[in-house]
Amino acid sequence: MALVSSFALAEPQLTSFEVVRGEDGLTLSFATRFDLPAGVEDALLKGVPLYFVAEATLMRDRWYWRDQLVSRVSRTWRVIYQPLTRTYRVSFGGLNQSYQSAAEAVSAVRRVAGWKLAEPGQVDAGDGYYVEFSYKLDTTLLPRPMQISIDGQPDWSLQLERVQRLAAPKEP
Amino acid sequence: MTKASRWAWVISLVVVTGAALVLSFLLAIATNNRSFYEEHYSWLFWLNLTVAALLILVIGVAAVRMALRVQRGKFGSRLLLKLAAIFALVGVLPGVLIYTVSYQFVSRGIESWFDVRVEGALDAGLALGRGTLDAQINEVSQQTLLAAERLGDMGGDVQPLALERLREQMAASDLAIVGASGQVLLSVSRTTELSKPERPPLSLLSSARSARVAAQLEGLDDDGSGVPVAGSPSARIRALAVVPSIDVALARQERFLMATALLPATLATNALAVQSAYREYQQRSLAREGLRKMYIGTLTLTLILAVFGALLLAVTLSNQLVKPLLLLAEGVRQVAKGDLGVKQVFGSRDELGGLTRSFADMTGQLSEARSLVQRSVAQVEAARTNLQTILDNLTSGVIVFDREGLIDTVNPGATRIVRQPLSAYRGQRLEEVEGMEAFAAMVWRRFESHADAAESGDRGHWQEAFDMQTGANRDTLSLLVRGALMPQGARLVVFDDITELVSAQRIEAWSEVARRLAHEIKNPLTPIQLSAERLEHKLAAKLEGADQAMLTRAVATIVTQVQAMKTLVNEFRDYARLPAAQLLPLDLNVLVAEVLSLYATAQEAGTLVFSAATDLPLIVGDATQLRQVIHNLVQNGLDAVAERPAGLALVRVKTEVAHTEQGAVRAVRLHVIDNGPGFSDKVLKRAFEPYVTTKSKGTGLGLAVVKKIADEHGARARLMNVVVTDSAGAQGIPVVCGAQVSLSFSKFALAPALTVAASTDTAPAH
Repeated sequence: MALVSSFALAEPQLTSFEVVRGEDGLTLSFATRFDLPAGVEDALLKGVPLYFVAEATLMRDRWYWRDQLVSRVSRTWRVIYQPLTRTYRVSFGGLNQSYQSAAEAVSAVRRVAGWKLAEPGQVDAGDGYYVEFSYKLDTTLLPRPMQISIDGQPDWSLQLERVQRLAAPKEP
Repeated sequence: MTKASRWAWVISLVVVTGAALVLSFLLAIATNNRSFYEEHYSWLFWLNLTVAALLILVIGVAAVRMALRVQRGKFGSRLLLKLAAIFALVGVLPGVLIYTVSYQFVSRGIESWFDVRVEGALDAGLALGRGTLDAQINEVSQQTLLAAERLGDMGGDVQPLALERLREQMAASDLAIVGASGQVLLSVSRTTELSKPERPPLSLLSSARSARVAAQLEGLDDDGSGVPVAGSPSARIRALAVVPSIDVALARQERFLMATALLPATLATNALAVQSAYREYQQRSLAREGLRKMYIGTLTLTLILAVFGALLLAVTLSNQLVKPLLLLAEGVRQVAKGDLGVKQVFGSRDELGGLTRSFADMTGQLSEARSLVQRSVAQVEAARTNLQTILDNLTSGVIVFDREGLIDTVNPGATRIVRQPLSAYRGQRLEEVEGMEAFAAMVWRRFESHADAAESGDRGHWQEAFDMQTGANRDTLSLLVRGALMPQGARLVVFDDITELVSAQRIEAWSEVARRLAHEIKNPLTPIQLSAERLEHKLAAKLEGADQAMLTRAVATIVTQVQAMKTLVNEFRDYARLPAAQLLPLDLNVLVAEVLSLYATAQEAGTLVFSAATDLPLIVGDATQLRQVIHNLVQNGLDAVAERPAGLALVRVKTEVAHTEQGAVRAVRLHVIDNGPGFSDKVLKRAFEPYVTTKSKGTGLGLAVVKKIADEHGARARLMNVVVTDSAGAQGIPVVCGAQVSLSFSKFALAPALTVAASTDTAPAH
């Protein structure tokens, strides 16, 4: 906790974002930097689970119609504090991991590397692809009264977005 | 608004209100079931908000309409407004009251959930659990440390049997010797499973290396819902202790003793329950503002829906209630304007409907009564017109006086008789009419005396003859006046002009007198004449000279006078007892020519002129009598012009035929016209009466005889002055320049039988 609060509360930002065309399709790597605001951390300590959601959509331009949706992937992390053991538990799918501090727990959800966005067959050599990416603290998964009481509070509005066009692959 | 659109309104209102109520109910139900509520709260909220907005819109429109109506003063709008306000008040007030109470209830209720003591208890419980777990961990790590030291003391390789013995001493579930990098070298287990224990995490290894012993809790996880994660290993404590090595040779090889002790299941469950409750409480506490907002929002929305529903119902209900009243009032207005047409009936069974029905019945009866009155008025009018016609055509004069003695009704007969425009004096007293003062005085006097004598005499009427001077010539009229009392103090005076009647009576009396006189006088005349002649016969021879001449002259005088007297008496007798006329067909022209032949000298002198009409039909008459008539008339004419110088005197005898409009013969007329001095007005009226004459000599019976004979022949005799508006006279004042006597014969002989048979309608009645 001391570790977290010692950081200056910097503006949340997407420190790196990379989409790579590889042998096994399209992969995405990103890293974010943000600190849990005081209100959010307080809620976490009181046992409110926090949900972080990363979502990426691969689109392709279409001049004659709405852009075509090629693929969509999303990841949801759940961070919860266990007061009995004073540990922070991060769930991702079926995986659970415990951390001794909030900072460790949050750092575990801040970055993803080699996230597969599309299968090799889904993306051809042409251009016109672009990726819409968002990373946010999802409050819609919170209990409803909680949502109502935090409605409009800036602490809870953590949201990062990026749209990146895909470069055409280099000629072999 | 048409009936259809009104229905559409009502139905839509009912639907909206129903939807609102159902939604409110859903909201309430949802509030009972928290998870359902929280899940669906959002859309329910917005839906309700939409419905509320719709209701506001509807109510706003209705309010604006109503305000406009009130402002325009549309009939019934005020009543509607009043009723709607009352209903709305009845609906809204309890709603607001319940809302206020519920608001307080919800606010306090939610706050009361969050109690400092409850929070403290939960904190304490968590701390207790934590402490218990810490104690367990401590114990396991101490035992592990002791066991590790014991193993170190034993030295050399650790035998599985020794390890098993140690495990049993420690009551651990697994015991293992772990290498420096965490690899399991040897393990014993309580269970017979052959599975090797997990490698310790590196963090644990490093902390054990530095602190000789380290322990951690594993598997005590929940996913936030308060129950252990399914399929996860049961909660256990893993402790790692450094096994001291006394063997120098083996000092390089670090070894650890790893013990795994299962946490008692009840302890784990309880601890997790405490943690779950704590977490729940904290979350709830964080979200309490939200909860409060939710409940209050639900409550407010329900209130709004209820209130608006109540308002709409109020408007609809009051509309329903007001409708028959409006119908009634509209009907009353129409009746007040005089429209008694068929009234609308409100088709409900309640008293209001009955009221409209009764009203419609009443209006119908009124209408009937009015038409009845109109009919009777028309009848009265007709009767009045009848009466008026009768009055107008009555020859008698009728005057009705009202209670004050003012002239109320005058018929044309009265005007004609008194020759005064009496109808112009309507509303005035009779005395104010010029020339009627004496008449009025007589009338009032008679009425008064009649009223005095009412008890004794006959009450109905009185009657009196009255002579009145009237007209420009102060003619004397004989009136027979009859008075009667009418209802309501009005008085009726009826009078007849009996001048002619009196005249006829006079003629009758004269006839009688003449007959007697003639008889009485005629008898001694013949002896007188004979005696005188005998005197002369006897004495003439005896007398001489002058005496004889005197006798002869005296006797001649006597005889002449007696003869004259005889003639006079004969005339009287003739007048008194004319023989009955023997009516035979005769030609008037022939008759006139025959009479005129006696006046040959006058004809030759040009004084007498006869102009005969051609095609004169035969009339019926007594030739002897008619000869007398013509003779009388011609003699009269000649007498009248006798004073005029010869040459200027002229008597014209003229016959003519009068035709009806259809061309049939109506009358044969005989005119005798002279240019003498004419008659004075007074004589003109009574010329046909006996002994009325303008001549110095004559009996005055000539015209009376003419009249009498004319009457016998059914002929009409008229006497008039020939009036010429002399151009030389001043300002066209009529100047009398002669007299004319006309006889109209309307009885014709049947000789031209074809003519009579062909046109019976033109045959004279008499």
